[in-house]
Amino acid sequence: MITSWDNDKLTIGLEGRIDSGNAAGVESEIMDLIKEKNPSRIVLDAENLDYISSAGLRIILRLRKTHPDLSIINVKSDVYEVFDMTGFTEMMKVEKAYRRVSVEGCEEIGRGANGSLYRIDKDNVVKVYNHADALDEIQHEREVARLALILGIPTAISYDVVKVGDSYGSVFELLNARSFSRILKSEPEKLDWCVEEYVKMLKRIHSTEVPEGKLPDMKETAISWAKFMQDYLPEESGKKLLALVEAVPHDNHMIHGDYHTKNLELQDDEVLLIDMDTLAVGNPIFELGSMFNAYRGFFELDHDAIESFQGFSYELAGEFWEKTLRAYLNTDNEKVIRSVEDKARIIGYTRLIRRSIRRGGLEDEHKRAEIELWKSELIELLDKYDTLLFDNDLEKAEFHNELDIEATEDNLNAVMAFVDENLESVGCSMKSQMQIDIAVEEVFVNICKYAYHPEKGRAVVRVGVSDEPVQVKITFIDHGHPYDPLAKDDPDVTLSAEDRPIGGLGIFMVKQTMDAVEYEYKDGTNILTLVKNL
Amino acid sequence: MLDIKKNLEGTKLEFVLDGRLDTITAPQLEEEVKASIDGITELVFDFSNLAYVSSAGLRVLLSAQKTMNDKGTMVVRNVSDEIQEIFDVTGFSDILTIE
Repeated sequence: MITSWDNDKLTIGLEGRIDSGNAAGVESEIMDLIKEKNPSRIVLDAENLDYISSAGLRIILRLRKTHPDLSIINVKSDVYEVFDMTGFTEMMKVEKAYRRVSVEGCEEIGRGANGSLYRIDKDNVVKVYNHADALDEIQHEREVARLALILGIPTAISYDVVKVGDSYGSVFELLNARSFSRILKSEPEKLDWCVEEYVKMLKRIHSTEVPEGKLPDMKETAISWAKFMQDYLPEESGKKLLALVEAVPHDNHMIHGDYHTKNLELQDDEVLLIDMDTLAVGNPIFELGSMFNAYRGFFELDHDAIESFQGFSYELAGEFWEKTLRAYLNTDNEKVIRSVEDKARIIGYTRLIRRSIRRGGLEDEHKRAEIELWKSELIELLDKYDTLLFDNDLEKAEFHNELDIEATEDNLNAVMAFVDENLESVGCSMKSQMQIDIAVEEVFVNICKYAYHPEKGRAVVRVGVSDEPVQVKITFIDHGHPYDPLAKDDPDVTLSAEDRPIGGLGIFMVKQTMDAVEYEYKDGTNILTLVKNL
Repeated sequence: MLDIKKNLEGTKLEFVLDGRLDTITAPQLEEEVKASIDGITELVFDFSNLAYVSSAGLRVLLSAQKTMNDKGTMVVRNVSDEIQEIFDVTGFSDILTIE
C-alpha cells in the first residue's frame, strides 16, 4: 500500500482487487495508518485499483463516518462504474483517472493568464493550466464555454481532461487553426481584415445576453480592484476611481475578459473564440480596458516586450487597436474615440497596477517605474472624467440616423423631411435650417441627376448631431460614377445678370454656407460630408 | 408645396408665392413665367409667404431677370431675412432689385 502524507492530508493508494477475500486485511492496514498519522483529511488514490466488491465499498463507508470529506481519485473507468451504480459518486467526491499527455517537444501556440496552449497532434491542442490544482478551473472553463456556445458564440469546447506532468490540461479539437496574432505576424497586410473579423466577434459577444447568475459580474471584480487601489492612490483619486466603477450600471451582456488576438483563432474559414475562463457579464468598458492593456498598457514602458507576447510590434499593435476602436464605435469622431479610450485606460491601468503590486512589483526597480508611469496617467485621467460610460456619451456626442433611399427627385421631400426631423432635437435657427436644407437639396439632387446617369441607383443620407461643439454632420453616400463636386471652380458672383450663366450656383452655395464640405471616393463609393456648426 | 398666384394689371404682372421654391417646385414657376411674360414691362415677385429658395429657384429668378433686363423692370418684394442671406451669399443682391 503506497501512501503519502502532506499537510494533514493522508493519501492512501488502493491496489489490485478488494473483495470479501482481502477486505478485512485492507481495512486493518488502513486503520493502522490512520491511527499512526491521525490525519484530518483522507484521499483514496485508486490509480492501481482494478476491482472493488461490496465488502470493499463497506470499508469506504465506515471510513467516511470518521472522515466525512473523504475523496477518491484516479479511478479507472470500470471501477468508476461501480461507484456510479452504487450511488457513491453522489455521496462523495469520486474522480476519474485522467489520461496522461506529454507536451514535450510540442509547439506552444498560445499563452494566457491561466495556462499555455500546445498542439499535441494535427487535430488537437491541450491547454495546460499553471496551477497544479486546476480541476475546478477546468470545470469552470468547460461550463462557461458550453454556455457561450449555446448562446451563439463560436468557440471550441474541451472534450477531455488530461494529466500533464503535475498539472492538468483540457483537450480541444482545433484543426488547422491559426491565432489572429500569428496571422498579423506573418501577414501584416491582412490587418484590415483582422480588425473587421475581430470587431465582428467583439460586437457579437457584447450583444449576447446572459441569463442572470450564469457568469460572474465584471463590475464586482472591478470594484475589488478599485478598493485595492485605495492604498496606492492619493485619497481623492482613489475615491473617484471607486465611485466611477460603482456608478457603472449592471449589465447582463457578455464580455470575454481577455479579448486579444491570441484568443481568436481562424479555423478554415471560421473564427473561433478561445480561452473562455475569464468570461463574465458587464459593461463593455471593462472589456475595452483589458483590450487596451493587451496592445498598449502592458507595454507602455517596454515597447519591445509585446513581441514575445503577441509576436508583432508595438506599432502594429497600436494600429490594430486604433482601427479596432474606430470600427467598434463606428465613428471617425476623434473626440469620441479618445474619450472612450481614456475610460478604457482608467480600467486598464487600475488592473495593471494592482496586478503588478500583487506580484511584488514594488520591490523591483524597473517594475516600480512602470507602476509610477501607469499611476501618473491614471491620476490625470481620473481628474478628467466623471463617468466611465460611453454609450450615452456617444449618443449625445454623435446621434446617428440613416436613410437609405432611391436617388430620384421624387424623393427629395422625403430626404428633406428626414434631415429636418433630425435637426429638431438640436434647435437650430431658421437661417441655419434653411442653409442646411439648401445644401441637402443641392447634394441630393446632384446625386439624382448625375451619380448613376443614365441608370438609377440608391443614396444613403446620414445625419449626425453632436453636442460639443453643437454641430450637425450630414453624409451622402452613393455608389455611382466617381464625381467630386468640389473640384469645380466657383462661379464669379460679381458678374451682372447678363454675364452670369444660369446654374453652377448650387455647390457654391453649399460651400459658402457650410462650415466644412469634404469629398472622398473610396471603394467605389462617393462620400460627401457637410458640417455645419450651430 | 408652392402656391403661385398671378395678378395682371395691364403690362404689370405680379407673382405671389406661397411655400417653397425648390427643385420640385421651381419648374412650375418657370412654366408660369414663360407662359405669361410676353408684353410684360413690370414683373413683381412677392415673397411674403415664401419660406425657402434653393439654387433651382435662384435659376428661375436669374433667367427671369435676364429676360426683363431687355424689356422692363423686375422687383422682388417682402424678402425674409433668411432668403436675403441666400441672395447676399450668391451675389443675387446685386443683380436683383429687392424692395
